[in-house]
Amino acid sequence: MIGHVRIRRRSPRRSRLTPPQALLLGLIVVLTVFPIYWMVVSSLKTNFELLSGSNVSLLPDVLALQFRNYATMFQRLSLAIYIRNSLIICGTATLIAVALASLSGFSLAYFRFRGAGAYGVAVMATQLLPGIMFLLPMFLIFTQAQQLTGLQIVNTHQGLILLYVAFFMPLSIWILRGYFAAIPRELVEAAQVDGTSILGAFWRIVLPLSVPGLIATATYVFLTAWDELLFAVVMTQTADTQTIPVGIRGYIGEQASNYNLLMAAATAVCVPPALIFFFLQRQMVSGLTAGAVK
Amino acid sequence: MIAQDEEQKITTGADGTAVQLQAEAAAGGIGLPERRVRLLPYLLLAPAAAFLVFVHFIPMGVSLYMSTLKLNQGHLLEFLTAPFIGVQNFTYILFNPISPIRGQFLDAARNTVIYTVAVNAIMLLGGLTAAVLTTREFRGRGIVRTLLLMPWIVPTYVVGFLWGFMWQPDTGIVNHILHDMLHLPIRPFWIVGPLTMVAIVVPTAWRNFPQTMLMLSAGLAGIPADLYEAAEVDGASSWQRLRHITVPMLRPVIAVVTLFGIISTVYSFNVVFTMFGGGAGYAGDWGDVLTTMIFRNSFGQLNFGIGAAASVLLMLVCVGLVIIWYWTFREDLRAR
Repeated sequence: MIGHVRIRRRSPRRSRLTPPQALLLGLIVVLTVFPIYWMVVSSLKTNFELLSGSNVSLLPDVLALQFRNYATMFQRLSLAIYIRNSLIICGTATLIAVALASLSGFSLAYFRFRGAGAYGVAVMATQLLPGIMFLLPMFLIFTQAQQLTGLQIVNTHQGLILLYVAFFMPLSIWILRGYFAAIPRELVEAAQVDGTSILGAFWRIVLPLSVPGLIATATYVFLTAWDELLFAVVMTQTADTQTIPVGIRGYIGEQASNYNLLMAAATAVCVPPALIFFFLQRQMVSGLTAGAVK
Repeated sequence: MIAQDEEQKITTGADGTAVQLQAEAAAGGIGLPERRVRLLPYLLLAPAAAFLVFVHFIPMGVSLYMSTLKLNQGHLLEFLTAPFIGVQNFTYILFNPISPIRGQFLDAARNTVIYTVAVNAIMLLGGLTAAVLTTREFRGRGIVRTLLLMPWIVPTYVVGFLWGFMWQPDTGIVNHILHDMLHLPIRPFWIVGPLTMVAIVVPTAWRNFPQTMLMLSAGLAGIPADLYEAAEVDGASSWQRLRHITVPMLRPVIAVVTLFGIISTVYSFNVVFTMFGGGAGYAGDWGDVLTTMIFRNSFGQLNFGIGAAASVLLMLVCVGLVIIWYWTFREDLRAR
């Protein structure tokens, strides 16, 4: 919500950074960026170098960079399948969550009806529930539903999609409600006078005008789902459904500790968020500052 | 949330006429027939509501029920016939002096509170410092702001792996910098013993402070410039301006940031889970938080009743911290 309030100049003549302040800011920047730098550097070393601890140096040996780690990591684990699973699950969950949340958001933003306030409170109240509280109940509900219907839910893509849609729905509703409420109602009413139904006006006027909001919501859902580990650990058991956070642990599991491959995979996992960050920075900021809760 | 309120203020002007038009529509003047207009908002809400009921409220009820059952066997599917034992799971966790769970729970509860307070204090301090400094004029300001947002692209489970690797006592880069470069006499054990708290607080604050910084930056932009000009005329130092103008004016934003921060830290799981034993380990007396303690007891020890009761207590810890939050910021919330 705060992200799309444009940051405007505080005063026409802004004060300059004094040398001690510049030093402090420099220190903060170095501390902020260093771990990411170290992750990338470590992903290009041999595992022996990382585990022996001898001649650690802040600058890598440029001639000895192990780019092959990025190929080896696919051979050592089914990383490609984990990435595919994560993309399918997070992508589908994002589409469904944004579609359903935009209907709810429109309803809350445009209509006055009994129960609207209570619904809004219930939506936000879900944010106070710890995920771990309904992890086991969800597992039981899924297994019971499987027995009743014969449909497989646990250890499938659709099981996690269902959960992720539900988890990230409340804040999606909240973000979109804000965007829809900011669109002048006159536009919708004008369309209705022209004979369009309310839903037609929603589809042809409100949604196109809210594209930045839809993107902000989609980035929030996708990135939060991309980061989800707790439910994925319990709800997926085999490699063909496991997502990256579950599978990636195999690099430093009981038999192996390939920190270089782990760091290579970790770097690769940061690429989709990085792309979103560089191309959609403003929308991402708006989505994630609003989606700060869960 | 703040902008939300602002938006509401802005749209109230238009609202008056809109409501009138809608009343006309409802009366059959224009648009849709009355009944469909009345039903439509509910129909639009229904799909999302179904998800909330089936994946939030029903499981919450099941969890509350499970916390009253003796449910410690592997045969989970018979949970409907498990014996009802009332509040015994709770008393076992909280008061039974010989139960190993009590010690674990009390450690984890203490750690969760310390973790939450420390992470939020660092995020607020770091976020405020970065936000204030980046409002200043200097070359490369855009690049600096982008660099400060970088931790955001790192998923939290990667944060646990990455820092766990950096904290290694003999081979990690942190001890290399402290011992070999800055000549600290010892190589501290970061992931064993009391320093474990530092080992989990720093990465969590590192990952999440960009968000605090951005929200505070937005808040800073909203402070009227003439306040600072007047203070300058009166000869206030920059420290005095920060203390008497910036911080008081930011209090409503600080309140929102802190609420988000408290809830997300109390319920956070990934950083602690992945840092220890590659996601299979126990963080020890000083690093175990309630979420990992509950996970271990439920899915490791199969003490599902205990796990359910402990997760109810976890929610109470969060509610307790939110009450303290409300007490601290009640004036600022009323002011809005």
